[in-house]
Amino acid sequence: MSEEMTIESYLAEGGKLTSPANVPPRYRAELLKLMATFVDSELAGAAGFADTINAGPGIKERIAAAKIVLEKTDNAGKVLKLMGEFGADTDRYVNHHPWTARLDRDADIGASRSEHDMRLAVFNYPLQGWADAVMMNLLMGLAVNEQLAEFQTVSYQPLAEAFRAIAPIEARHAELGREGAAKLADQGRSDDLQTSADYWWPRVAQSFGGTDPRRSEALQAMGLRKMPTGDLRERWERNAAKVLEELGLARP
Amino acid sequence: MARFHDLHVTDVKKTIRDAVVVTLKPANGAAGEFDFIQGQYLTFRREFDGEELRRSYSICAGKDDGILQVGIKRVEGGAFSTWANTDLKPGDTLQAMPPMGGFHTALDPRAERHYLGFAGGSGITPVLSILKTTLAREPRSRFTLVYANTGVNSIMFREELEDLKNLYMGRLNVIHVLETDAQEIELFTGLVTAEKCAQLFQHWIDIEDVDTAFICGPEPMMLGIASALRAHGMTDSQIKFELFASAQPGRARRKAVAADAASSANQTTATITLDGATQTLTMPKDRSVLDAALENAMDAPFACKAGVCSTCRCRVLEGEVEMAANHALEDYEVAKGYVLSCQSYPLTDKLVVDYDQ
Repeated sequence: MSEEMTIESYLAEGGKLTSPANVPPRYRAELLKLMATFVDSELAGAAGFADTINAGPGIKERIAAAKIVLEKTDNAGKVLKLMGEFGADTDRYVNHHPWTARLDRDADIGASRSEHDMRLAVFNYPLQGWADAVMMNLLMGLAVNEQLAEFQTVSYQPLAEAFRAIAPIEARHAELGREGAAKLADQGRSDDLQTSADYWWPRVAQSFGGTDPRRSEALQAMGLRKMPTGDLRERWERNAAKVLEELGLARP
Repeated sequence: MARFHDLHVTDVKKTIRDAVVVTLKPANGAAGEFDFIQGQYLTFRREFDGEELRRSYSICAGKDDGILQVGIKRVEGGAFSTWANTDLKPGDTLQAMPPMGGFHTALDPRAERHYLGFAGGSGITPVLSILKTTLAREPRSRFTLVYANTGVNSIMFREELEDLKNLYMGRLNVIHVLETDAQEIELFTGLVTAEKCAQLFQHWIDIEDVDTAFICGPEPMMLGIASALRAHGMTDSQIKFELFASAQPGRARRKAVAADAASSANQTTATITLDGATQTLTMPKDRSVLDAALENAMDAPFACKAGVCSTCRCRVLEGEVEMAANHALEDYEVAKGYVLSCQSYPLTDKLVVDYDQ
C-alpha cells in the first residue's frame, strides 16, 4: 500500500475528499465559495420569500410559502454547518448581513454579486406580489434542480451528501411553484404570470454563471463541476419552456 | 466552533510493530461530547518544538465497546504518529476535539442488509468501528470486509477480526489481500485494484446484493475500488469514502518573519500569488489585501468580507499585516502566517502573500 499519488491527480480522476484536513488550499477556497454561494442564496431567498407569506391569497398558499421559507433556511443550515468545520463562525455568519436587502426592480447588475455577500445576482431583485413570487420560485426552482443534480456529484463528499438530502426538498419547492402558477392561470391571471416570467427568465438564466472555459476546466479538474455552465443553462431553458407552455404561457 | 478537551490516556497497546491502539477517557465531565458515531475521527493537537500540530485519527472502537479508542500507525517522518508510537503512555493527557466525520450510515435494528467494507492498511480503524457496531446493532445484517495489507505482519487487528468472525458466525466474512505474501488463492495476492475487485465480484462477493460500501485507504486504492463498484451498478449514494491520513502534510513549516520594519510611507509593494501566477503591485496601506488583489483583476476567493467565513484565507510569507477582525482563523493558523485577506491591512513596505498554500 505504498503507492504515492498527489491530491490533484486523485481529484482529476474522480477521487473524493472527506474532511477539511485533506483539502488543498485552492480547492478549499473554491469549495468555500461554492458553499457560501448556496448558503447566501438560500438565506436571501428565504428572507425575501418571508414577506410574501402574507400576500398568499389563501391558507394553502400561505402554508406553502411558509414551508418554503422554513425549508430553505434549514437547507442553508445544512451547508453552513459544513462551512463551520472549515472554521467559519456559523452564528455570526447568519447575522453578518441583512438578507432581506434588495436592489431596485429595474437595477441592471447582470451576473455580478453585491459587495458583501455571495448570493446569486437573481436574489438581489425584489418580488412584487404573490403571482410574481410564484413565478420567480418556479423558474428559479427549476434552475436549482439542474444545479443540484450537478452538485450532488461534487468531490467533497460531505457536501455531496448534504446536496443529496437537499435536492428532493428543493424539487418540491419548484413543484409548489408549478401548482401555484396553475391555480393562478385557472383564475385568469395569465397576463400577470407572463409579465413576471418575462422579467425573471433572463435573470434566472444568468444565475448559471459565466462560461469562462479556463475556470470551467479548473473546477472540473477539482471535481467541483462536471458539465459546462452553458449546457446546464440550456437544459434549464428547454425544461422551463415546456413547463411554461403547459401553463399556457410563452417562453420569454 | 469545536473546542479542544482533555482526554486521559488509560492504555496504549501495540497491535503490530508500528501501530498502537490508544484508549482514552474524557476528563472534566466532557464524556457527553465524545459520544461518537461509528466511523468518526478525533482531531488531536500537540506542540512539537514550539509549533502546534493537528492530526486526525479514526476511532476504532464500536459503539457498544463502552470505550473510546483510536488507532495510530506510525508514518515515516510524521512527528505526531512517531511520538504516539514511542513516547505516549498511560497517565498522559491528550487534547482532542469532539468526534467529527460523516463516514457512516444510519442503523436500523430490523434491517437485513449486506455491507461491503474495503480497508487499506491503517484504513481499517474506522471500518472496524463500523463493522463492530453494525453487527451488534443490526442482528440480521451481514458484513464483508476486504482488507489490504503489505504482508501478514502488517495486518492491524488481525486477531480481533478472527474473534469477531467467531462471535458473529456466518455474518462476518473477511478477505485478506496481501501485496507481497503469497496466499493459497492467487486472487488474494497483490494490490486491490479495479481489476482485482471485478474478479472478487465474480465468485467471492455477490455485488448485486450489497446495499452500502465503505472504503478507507490510500488514494489510488479508493479510485480503483470506486470505479469497480460503479461499473457493477452501485450509485454514488451507496458508496461511502474516508480518505485517510496520508493527505495530511508532514511537519508544519515555520512562520515567515518580518523582513523589514514598518516605515512611515503609506504605500506597500505587495507580491500576490494566486493559481500559480504571481503579480507584484503597489497598494495603499489602508486597503485590504483582498481588495487590492480584486482591483488588479486577480480572481481572489472571498464570500462574506466580514472576517467570518474564512473563504479568503491566504498565507503571509514575508512582511506583516494587521487583521481588523478575525472570527474564523484559530491561533495555530495565525501562528503559521495564515490571515483573512479581506481583513488584512499591510504594516510593512513589502508584503508577500500566497493564496495557494
